[in-house]
Formats: sequence, C-alpha cells, structure tokens
Amino acid sequence: MPVDQPRPAHNPLEESDIDEAALSTVLRTVPLGAAVLAGSAVALVVLGYLAIYLFVFLPRGIVG
Amino acid sequence: MTDQPRETHERWVLGTELTWAFGVGVLVAATISIIVFTALTLNINPPSNVERIDPKTLHLSGEFSEQNLGTLVAADGTVTARIIATQFAFVPHCIALPRGRPVTLRLASPDVIHGILITGTNVNTMVVPGYVAQVHTEFTKSGELLMPCHEYCGLGHSEMWATVQVLSAAEFKPDSDGRVSCARR
Amino acid sequence: MRGVDRLCLAHLWLAFAAFVGAAVLGVWQMWVRSPLGAHTGTPGDYYMSVTAHGVAMAYVLSTFFIMGFGYFVAVTALQRPLPGQGWAWAAFVAGVIGVVMALVSIALGKASVLFTFYPPLTATPWFYIGLILVVAASWVWCVLMFVSMAAWKRKNPGRPVPLAMFGTVANALMWLWTTAGVAAELLYQVVPAAMGFVQTVDVGLSRTLFSWTLHAIVYFWLIPAYIAFYTMLPRAAGGRLYSDTMGRLTFIFFLIYSLPVGLHHLLMDPEHGNGTKFIQVLLTAFVAAPTVLTIFTIPASLEIAGRLRGGRGVFGWIAALPWDRPMVLASGLSFVMLGFGGLGGLINMAYGMNAMVHNTSWVTAHFHLIYGGTVVIMYFAIAYEIWPRLTGRQHESFSPLRWQLWLWFVGMMVMTLPWHWLGLQGQWRRVANFNYDNPIIASWGPLVIVSLAGGVLLLASALLFVRNLVVLHRSVQPAPTGPLYALAVVPPRHVPAALNGFGLWNVLVLASMLMAYGYPIAQFVIAPSPSAIVHRTE
Repeated sequence: MPVDQPRPAHNPLEESDIDEAALSTVLRTVPLGAAVLAGSAVALVVLGYLAIYLFVFLPRGIVG
Repeated sequence: MTDQPRETHERWVLGTELTWAFGVGVLVAATISIIVFTALTLNINPPSNVERIDPKTLHLSGEFSEQNLGTLVAADGTVTARIIATQFAFVPHCIALPRGRPVTLRLASPDVIHGILITGTNVNTMVVPGYVAQVHTEFTKSGELLMPCHEYCGLGHSEMWATVQVLSAAEFKPDSDGRVSCARR
Repeated sequence: MRGVDRLCLAHLWLAFAAFVGAAVLGVWQMWVRSPLGAHTGTPGDYYMSVTAHGVAMAYVLSTFFIMGFGYFVAVTALQRPLPGQGWAWAAFVAGVIGVVMALVSIALGKASVLFTFYPPLTATPWFYIGLILVVAASWVWCVLMFVSMAAWKRKNPGRPVPLAMFGTVANALMWLWTTAGVAAELLYQVVPAAMGFVQTVDVGLSRTLFSWTLHAIVYFWLIPAYIAFYTMLPRAAGGRLYSDTMGRLTFIFFLIYSLPVGLHHLLMDPEHGNGTKFIQVLLTAFVAAPTVLTIFTIPASLEIAGRLRGGRGVFGWIAALPWDRPMVLASGLSFVMLGFGGLGGLINMAYGMNAMVHNTSWVTAHFHLIYGGTVVIMYFAIAYEIWPRLTGRQHESFSPLRWQLWLWFVGMMVMTLPWHWLGLQGQWRRVANFNYDNPIIASWGPLVIVSLAGGVLLLASALLFVRNLVVLHRSVQPAPTGPLYALAVVPPRHVPAALNGFGLWNVLVLASMLMAYGYPIAQFVIAPSPSAIVHRTE
C-alpha cells in the first residue's frame, strides 16, 4: 500500500485561492441549484425526444 | 485542508454524485426500453434485409433486368417495386404505388453507393452495391412525393431523383401482367 | 514552458488557418444552395469545396488543435518538459506535408470524394496518402502523451495523475483505437484501389471499417472541451471542481463506450442485420452517460463559484458567475448548444427513428451544431486561455473575445435550427444545386436563406477570432502567472489504479470491440460481398 505523500513543494499552478471556511459554507447548499438546473435540462430533452417520436415520427408511417 | 472538513466534503460529494448517477442509470434504461418497445410491438426496424447481389451483372438477367423494373402486383396481391439506382438516375424515374396497402421497395445499384428517402414518410435506406436494399411500408396519403438520391454518388448527385405517385385504389390499376405505371398528369 | 511554446503555436495556427479557409468555403456553399445563389458555379466547384471544407474542419482543425493543446497540457499539468520534442516536430512536419498533399489534390479536382470518401468512389492516391500522413503524425503525438504520463508516474509514485493529463491520455488512447478502422480501410482497400492494384472493392467491408472510426472520432474532438470544463472552467469561474473522481470516470466512460457503437452510422445500410444494429444501439445508450454526469458535475462546480460570489436561491448563483470571463461565457453557451445537439443525437441513434433523419439536412445541422457549436466554441475558449501562457502576453480587453463568442453562438443557432427543420421536411444532403422550380423544394427556400444568414455571422466570428489572436501577439500586457488548472473540492491524495491508468480499460475496450465488431467484420473475411467496380473521380 503506497504511503500518502505529503503535499508537494509549492506548485504555482495548484494554489488554492478560496477560503476553506467559505467553501464549507456554500457546500451546505451546493448542489441543489445544479441538480435543479441539470434535472430540468434533462427533463426537457427527454420530453423533446418523446414529442418528436410521437408527433413527427410515428404519424409518418410504419417502416420495416 | 484539515482532515475533518475534507472527509465531510468527500462523503457529501460522493453521495450527491451517486444520487445523480442513479438518476442517469434510470434514464439510460428508459431510453433503451423505449427503443426495445418500439422495435418489438410496432415492428419498426431499420431496413435490415441482408441479401447479396452482384452489382456487375444485376442488370443482365433476373430480378433487376430492365423489363422487370417498376411496380408489380403479384398473383397473391402483394405489391413490389423494383428500382435501380445508378449514376445519375433512378430506373424507373416514376414509381406508382397504392395508398393504404403494404408495399415492398427493392433497390439495387450497379455502380456506387446511393440512398433514398421518400419525402413525408419514414422510407429511408442506403443502396450499397453488392446488396439488395429492401423497405416495407404503407402509404397513408395519396399524392406525388419526391424520392431523391440522398448519398453523394458523384458530380451528378444533385440531379438524381425520382417521383413516387401514391395512387388511390381507383387509380392504381395493374395491367394484364400485373404492372402499374405512373398515371399521366 | 519555453520549449513547447513554438511547438504548440505552430499546431494551433495551422489548425485555425485551415478553420478560416474552410469557413469561407462554407458560406459560399450555403450561398450556392440557397435560392439567392442557385446555379452559381458548377457541381465540380461545389463538391471540391465540400471536400476541402470537410477535410479542413474535420481532420485539420481538430487534429492539430488537439495535438497542440495536448503538448501544452503535458508540460503545464505535469510540470515537466516534453519528452521527445524532436519527434514532435518531425510529426508536425509530416502532418503539414500531409495537409498540403490532401488540399492540393482537392484543388486540382482529383479528390472530390468528400471527407467521408466512400468507396467505390475513388480519388487520386495522393489525397489518401496525405490523410494517412496526418493520422501518422497524430499517432506520434499519442505515443508522446503516453511517454509523458508514464515518466511522470515513475517520478511521482502513488500520486494521482493531474486530471487534465489523465483526460488527454484517455483521448490519445481512444484515438489510437478508433483510427485503426479508417487506417485498415485506407491501407487494405482504398489506396490499393486508387493506385490501380485492384479493380474492385468490397463496399460492405469498407462501410463497416469506416464506421469503426466514425463515432469515436467525434469524441476525440469533444474530449478537449470536457478537459476544459473539468480542469479550466472551475478555476476561471473562481470555484472548485465538484468531483475529481467524476472527471476521471467521465474520461474512462468515453474511452470504453464511444468505440463499439459505430454501426449506428449504418442503421440504414443493407449489409448488416437487425441483430448487430440493435446491439450497437444499446451500447450507444451508454455513451450518453458521461455527458449526463458532466451536466451535473460542471454546474455543481459553477454553483460553488456562484455562491462564493454571493449568489442566493435556487438559481441566483447563475447570474452571480463572472460571465465577463471568456472561458465562463463560452462554457455557458456551449452547454446550451449541447442541449439541442444532444437531443438531435438521441434521435439519430434511436434505431427505427433514424429512418426519419438519415442523410437529410437534419444530420448536417446536427453535427454542425454539436461539433461546430458545442465543441469548437470551447476550442476558442481554450485558445484564449492558453495563448497568454504561450506568448507571455495578456489580452488587452476581453470585450472583443466576448463579442466573438456571442457571434459564434448566435450564428450557429440561426444556421442550424432551421436546418434541422428542413431535414424533417425531407431536404437531403450534399446537393450542389436545388431545383427551386419544384414546389416542394421551393417551400424550403426561405429557411435556407435564414441558415445562410447564420453562416455569414459564423464567418464574421471566425475572422474576429483570428483578429483577437493576432492582436494578442502584439499586446503589451504581461501574461497572468497564477494557477491555470482547477482544484477539486477534495483534491485527491491517492486514487485507485483503475482511475490513474488505463491497463484495465484497454482490456475492456479490446473485449467490447471483439464483441461488437468481431462478427460484423469477420463476415466479410469469411464471405466477401459481391465486389463493386472502382470508380475513379479524377
């Protein structure tokens, strides 16, 4: 089992610029907004798919 | 970051992602179910009759020789239209088909890849040299429809199209050999 | 950084030069197809243009952008010099030679076979050899990506590979797997036919081999956009990546699910039966998964940024985001286009429903929207983000960048939405000249003109994009030196080997390709199709 490495010496491309306490605070609400947004988007796509299937594709006739 | 908030965050992130992933799983399953349902109950399938034919000789004899092209009503009443797709025309250029009866379209190419759709319908197939393309359908409305070649087949591709006349029962009259040609308009 | 600056810029400038040339051709094509330009030019001109446009956009813009971006990521994410720079430059030169060969062949009228080059239509062998050189160059890039990652892992045992590099290597691996199909088609069938060594070709086999490549290639184009979503966007927005693990899984899912599905491009073909088509449609449903995971994880990451900036309520965080930053704006616009493009894709793959859209303008509209829109707008955003690091200069103003991105979005929506509709009306593809005397076709005219207007906006955006980069090269503002890549909410200290490498996934890909493509290809080896005569177009 590899041992956890300590964080590497100062890597200028991996600095945190966020206050950890603020992060913890917002994480009490996140990802509610994202879930609603993504869920709505997915619902719209599914409804669009079903609508095209029922109202455009099927009326054009059966093919096989 | 100290370990305590890190572990809390880790659990929260993982939990929410798994919840969403579960929803994704349901969605993928639902999509698959719709597709399976249609295929089985309504018998809607892509054209998949795998039937080989030699493009180099198909015009010489047999099913796709010139005198056998076009719409034919067999003795048992089945309606079949045989069409050749070639650079840059369909033979025949106009195809008469009945409204409200099952029809079968069979197409072959002696040269390159072509394809057809019939406007306003779900009739769509590639015509690949080496294979007979077959589509079953039933037209629900009479009228004159466009049947263009929809796959690039060379410089004349834009001019390659046929007409489909969907005729009412009164107009769809086979001759003594069972053949039906387009009505004069 | 110094060493790869020139290497990256060379690749990126070639990509964008091809892009602008192709954009000009695209507008001309839209013009000729519309009632306004009907009967302008000959079919020979048109199909020469379509071939050049397709090759430039699908093969040159994409491949060279991805290679240039990949070299950048290998150096900046791994914080080490690129191994094998000599090889990288040699590959670039080979690629340039290949592009020139292909474009000259097209310009001479000897290769009007379109970027899909379906045999038995056959062009001059120089066209195909040119494309093969480009693919070979990209294979060198793939190897250098693997070597880079392997070297970093040896120096950093037990540590997680930085996500941007993990995604880049997943993409490189997927590219190697997917190009095998078109390479086999070209080397075994098309080039011998073009050179006159054989007079006939098995078209069932060539369609099938090309389909192997056809789907995963679009994910090859897409993954860099997702690398930007996961590793650059959260930083640009001022937040954190919600889940590093989801990022890794997304790239792994793309690797394993985008390959064994190519037959869904052949749903209307007569050389395969229902069984194989159905299996690959089922597998296609799985490739929706990484995208659906992403449309949760990325908004969650943005939500962190938005709430840190004071956004409240269910949607308040959206308005609070720094939309003035090009990476953030481009990503938002990209997601909107992903919604429409994704819906189109779900319809394309839906087995029987494919009959409603196959080879109509719906298909053309779909891939312009999802690739030209969703993906290429992120190529712009990535370019805007990394160009300062490559040149040492910063954009003097972000305003022209935002104008350019909005123009691209509006142009793409205006061009493609009516185009989808026209496809449903039965408008078919690859037409040099529509006969507007026909009443059915005449009814399409107005929407074709609307699409043309969208295309003109896109050309304006393309020119503005190049202008923005040229101006940057002369800017006096120094480049930013802060962090480029995002941190995760929980930066990983250790990840399981399966999420840090590709050994297991490679085996899975092999197994799935055998299952999905084994019989469909073997059938032609066991019993070749009746062959078709080679048809030269030169």
